[in-house]
Amino acid sequence: MKEFKYLITDPIGIHARPAGLLAKLAKSFEGTTVFLTKGDQTVKASQLMKLMNLGVKAGDEVTIQVEGGDEDAALAALEAFLKENL
Amino acid sequence: MALDYRKCAEEIAANIGGGENVISAAHCATRLRLVIADNAKVNKKALENVDGVKGMFESNGQLQLIIGTGTVNKVFDEFISVTGVQAGTKDDVKAAAAAKQPIWKQMLKTIGDVFVPILPAIVASGLMMGLVEALAKVPGLGFGGSDWFAFLDTVANTAFAYLPVIVAVSAARVFGGNIFLGGVIGLLMIHSAFLNGWNVANVDAINSFFGVTDGIIPKWHLIGNLVTIQRSGYQGHVIPVIIAVFIMCKVEKWLHKHVPEMIDLFVTPLTTVLVTALVTLWIVGPIFSTLETWVLAGAKILVRNPLGACAMGALYPCTVVMGLHHMYNVIEAGMLAESGLNTWMPIASAANFAQFGACLAVGLKVANQKTKSVAIPSSLSAALGITEPAIFGVNMRFFKPFVAGMIGGAIGSLVAALLGFGATAYGVTGIPGYLTVSNPMQYTIVLLIAGGIAFAITWFIWKEETEETEAPVVKAPEPVKEVEYKVPEKTVISCSAGEIKAPVEGKVVPYTEIPDETFKQGILGEGVGIWPENETVVAPYDGEISSVAESKHAVGITGAEDMEMLIHVGVDTVEMNGDGFEVFVKAGDKVKAGQPLIKFNREKIKAAGHPDIVVTLLTNSDDYDDVKINV
Repeated sequence: MKEFKYLITDPIGIHARPAGLLAKLAKSFEGTTVFLTKGDQTVKASQLMKLMNLGVKAGDEVTIQVEGGDEDAALAALEAFLKENL
Repeated sequence: MALDYRKCAEEIAANIGGGENVISAAHCATRLRLVIADNAKVNKKALENVDGVKGMFESNGQLQLIIGTGTVNKVFDEFISVTGVQAGTKDDVKAAAAAKQPIWKQMLKTIGDVFVPILPAIVASGLMMGLVEALAKVPGLGFGGSDWFAFLDTVANTAFAYLPVIVAVSAARVFGGNIFLGGVIGLLMIHSAFLNGWNVANVDAINSFFGVTDGIIPKWHLIGNLVTIQRSGYQGHVIPVIIAVFIMCKVEKWLHKHVPEMIDLFVTPLTTVLVTALVTLWIVGPIFSTLETWVLAGAKILVRNPLGACAMGALYPCTVVMGLHHMYNVIEAGMLAESGLNTWMPIASAANFAQFGACLAVGLKVANQKTKSVAIPSSLSAALGITEPAIFGVNMRFFKPFVAGMIGGAIGSLVAALLGFGATAYGVTGIPGYLTVSNPMQYTIVLLIAGGIAFAITWFIWKEETEETEAPVVKAPEPVKEVEYKVPEKTVISCSAGEIKAPVEGKVVPYTEIPDETFKQGILGEGVGIWPENETVVAPYDGEISSVAESKHAVGITGAEDMEMLIHVGVDTVEMNGDGFEVFVKAGDKVKAGQPLIKFNREKIKAAGHPDIVVTLLTNSDDYDDVKINV
């Protein structure tokens, strides 16, 4: 399992659109499960509703964990996504 | 809806000043019994309104919350875990509670506890009986002889004719016995081998029922003249039945404790029923039938002069409580045969109408919706001359209204006796009484006096309830009510997992036509956009709210077979930060199709420069291969 931390800078945070994009991306890695943690809550990043329900906003630090498959590739793709969108 | 034990316990704890205010706690078959350190911290009004608490009373220091058999233990367990209070036994609590309520208060409360659950049955019967009997007295209608009358009258008086059975079942529940054994005792007391209790004073009925000629009800001699059982039933009776079931529950509990478990099932019920039957019919029964004879004889003497009538007017409701009022027909029939004028009826009417007045005052004054919903129909029934619901369900529980009714009845009866009018038939009182009275004008005066006085006294004297309502009520959030919602007709999305209805009315377009790149590309799932024609978003299927956006413009709902939906009002409306939106649900709420979720203001959305399209997407549409969009 590999992970990285990311500080959200987008003022609105993970609302519908970025959540949708993130979930879509998280589903796209074959054999890899992506988890997102905010505080003490962890959800599968592929579960759009749960992701939105975290209410992640600017200033929140989230942890992304990937497990299985090509973890390095997934990690890189996710990091790039977060930097660009959030 | 099943009771949420945890929530019930939490609400109770919140309304008694928390666990630190509890000295000890225990429960019996129906009640949570608490000994409270500081009674000032107890919010009684709020406790009564806690979902699951059916009633409450105090006996100096011991606070008892009636919760019900099978439920109380679960609430108790939660209560202990919520408050961290040490569980005690019933006897600990009893010992901790130094003094007790006066016994008569406890008895009134017990009768109330027994009656409240059965009120729907007797209110239905009372209203129907009043109407049917009134119709039967309308001259020239011929309704009284019709088959319809016979049918309706039978239906209407069922609950009253077999009242002991209903009372017995309810009493068994209150006293913590087996309700079916209670039912057996109730049935026994009106067994067809006994003369109908309504006829015990009617010589002809006795003669024809038993085939005797002396008008004396025969007895069964079980042990010579020492143990005898009079063969009369207890139709319409209440008190003897409650006493009988009380005895039964005592016997049953004692046996359960002392009989070895292996033979408990056949020894205990059998012995319980037999002992109760014997004691009831041998000792309790005769006490009451003697009392009945005295009341009847006393009543006959009293009604001969106005002061006596006044006393009778006051005592009448007490005889209703004992179930003796059904025998007054005998007095009335005697009067009619003697003089052709029934002067008893105005007294009964005044007494009944006074209970109506008192009950109505409670109904109009009380803020508690539960009490109101009982008091209003009960008072209607009382106006029609059937006062049991009003007396047992309302007036006696609060006691002061009952006394107010007695005063009103006394004064009304006095006036009636002085005026000297009467009725030309018997069997109806209250408003239907107009059909039989000799002087409607005077009758009106009597009813107005009796009802008016009782109403006024109750209105001004009976106050505690309204004072208590002003106390702040601590309540946990309301659970989602089981209400019927109008399910939208149009299906916008369907797949193997189910159908998704339009959450809002308006023109439906496929998601590819939503004016937003993300939605258009289906990144958040396939679905539709709806250009709204109204401003309320409703649930598109039965499900659970999985998320609510902080900016109130979007909700997620999980439905059958894991269908995940997003309803997003407007495009980029997240920027409005909640202004113009109102959300009615929170994450975790169960919702029904058609239930309102969000209310939005189209003007504000447009003013903020956003399209107001309601984006309705099946976010996990990838999981289904047969998603159809219906535009």
